[in-house]
Amino acid sequence: MSFLRIHAQPGRTAVWTLSWFLFATGIILYFYVAQERHRENPDERVMPTIGQMVRGFSDAALKPAEEEEVQTTSGSSLLSRFRSSMLWKDTEASGRRFLISVALLFPAVLLGLHMAMFPVIGAFFLRFILFFDKIVALSLLPILFIAFGIDELSKIMLIVIGVAPTIILDTFNLSKSVPSEQIVKGFTLGASDFSIAYRIVFKQILPRVLNSIRLNLKAVMLFLFAGEMIASTDGLAYRIALLRRHMGMDTIIPYVLWVALLLFLVDFAMNTINHKLHPWFEAA
Amino acid sequence: MREAAVQMEQVHVDYPIAGQAPRSVLNGVSLRIESGEFVAIVGETGCGKSTLLRLILGEEKPTRGRLLVNGLERSQPDRDCGYVPQKYSLFPDKTVLDNVTFGLEVTSFGAWPGMRWVHPKQMRRFREEALLYLRHTGLDESDARKYPHQLSGGMQQRVAIAQALIMKPPILLMDEAFSALDPATRTGMQRLIKKLWRESGTTIVFVTHNTREAVCLGTRIIALSRNGDGSRGSSVALDLAVPDLDFDSEESDIGELVREVESAAVRERPLVYN
Repeated sequence: MSFLRIHAQPGRTAVWTLSWFLFATGIILYFYVAQERHRENPDERVMPTIGQMVRGFSDAALKPAEEEEVQTTSGSSLLSRFRSSMLWKDTEASGRRFLISVALLFPAVLLGLHMAMFPVIGAFFLRFILFFDKIVALSLLPILFIAFGIDELSKIMLIVIGVAPTIILDTFNLSKSVPSEQIVKGFTLGASDFSIAYRIVFKQILPRVLNSIRLNLKAVMLFLFAGEMIASTDGLAYRIALLRRHMGMDTIIPYVLWVALLLFLVDFAMNTINHKLHPWFEAA
Repeated sequence: MREAAVQMEQVHVDYPIAGQAPRSVLNGVSLRIESGEFVAIVGETGCGKSTLLRLILGEEKPTRGRLLVNGLERSQPDRDCGYVPQKYSLFPDKTVLDNVTFGLEVTSFGAWPGMRWVHPKQMRRFREEALLYLRHTGLDESDARKYPHQLSGGMQQRVAIAQALIMKPPILLMDEAFSALDPATRTGMQRLIKKLWRESGTTIVFVTHNTREAVCLGTRIIALSRNGDGSRGSSVALDLAVPDLDFDSEESDIGELVREVESAAVRERPLVYN
């Protein structure tokens, strides 16, 4: 059991092998079971083979979404075919909602900062947000649909209501954790209350806040998917819900992997930007 | 009569404790610090040295008594007092140069960092002044682009001193500023602060638990000591003007003063026999 020691130091090859092992095992296991099921039942639809999935994904990614576009896109480049595809249109619709929702988290960050810095604002909002944070956002969905209709606004509101309280409280706690010495120091250097809030505290917590938003990206997607599955006419989750009715697993599985890939890329981009903008953060 | 830099009259500080009698930290402290003095405040851990400093800073208010800084009562920390704490003395997100220019920037441009791009000439002047202060505290231009985590503890405190002094505060408050440094660096920093005090004439209030450091730095030593049964807080046990010693002064002179301060500081402590 020497490998299960705190001071164990696996080599590069061992780390590489271990970190890819579960991926490889999962893929091999899936295709083995899928192959077996297809051998037993050639009409099997629950576990599509790799060929079926490639066909399903290329249909979604390269065939026009609308019947009338078939004429205009035939013979055009791969990129233009992709841009008129179902996958692109769904990605665009979900991406727009996702980006608006993430942008709307910025006021949440500012609210958390002000609550921590200015006791009057803190006293006004803290209890309410602590209570609001405990409300299960999905339970508000019917109310949101009644209040805002079934258009974009209700879906974006669901995401914001679901994630904003967590971001507000996290920013509040991060702002409170800035050492009091830094705030006193700021005052002694002639900074005003707002200079201290924005130029000392906000700048110090920003990398952690970005990490907090990164950790909440999955929650953002969760609420986005819930909204799209219930009331939408486009979007990645709408498509998955639609395909579920026809047992279209050959497209659902690539769609799920596509969403995971997009989320991974957004997370990676945010992490890279965070490191570039705040070179002091990891080491400090 | 000339206005004192700091004047305390019968200052009491009590902290409320739920369900119990308030805990007294300072009990009737009266003292007067004149402009240009180098006052070292000594005392055991928990005797209220840092509370005294926070009172002068304006971060805390006395429960009773009166405290004036440059003739005025204080409501919150401001530019009248520079501050060098033991830890977290620099802003980790700013380079050395930005740390030192920070005070000049916020007092000129306010809360919006974008203003520094609108006033490039003024920013250049701030940077030149900051470099001057950095050189004065023993750092060079190559350190200016570094972040605080890339500096040693001693270098960080040098930057913190430059950061405070560039604002030309009438009073500089230092709270165990050299406590976390190794002995060699500490001695270097002690020499530096004494040199800067002689050159600038700033009033310095230096809190330390190290009696030797207090004797070598201060021109006046105030020892705080707990009273009676310990529940009644601390008061001034010794207020002693000392010669402006050099670090190369006779060891016997320093040693004698250290013994005197230490014996006075413990004189008021209760004797407890088990």
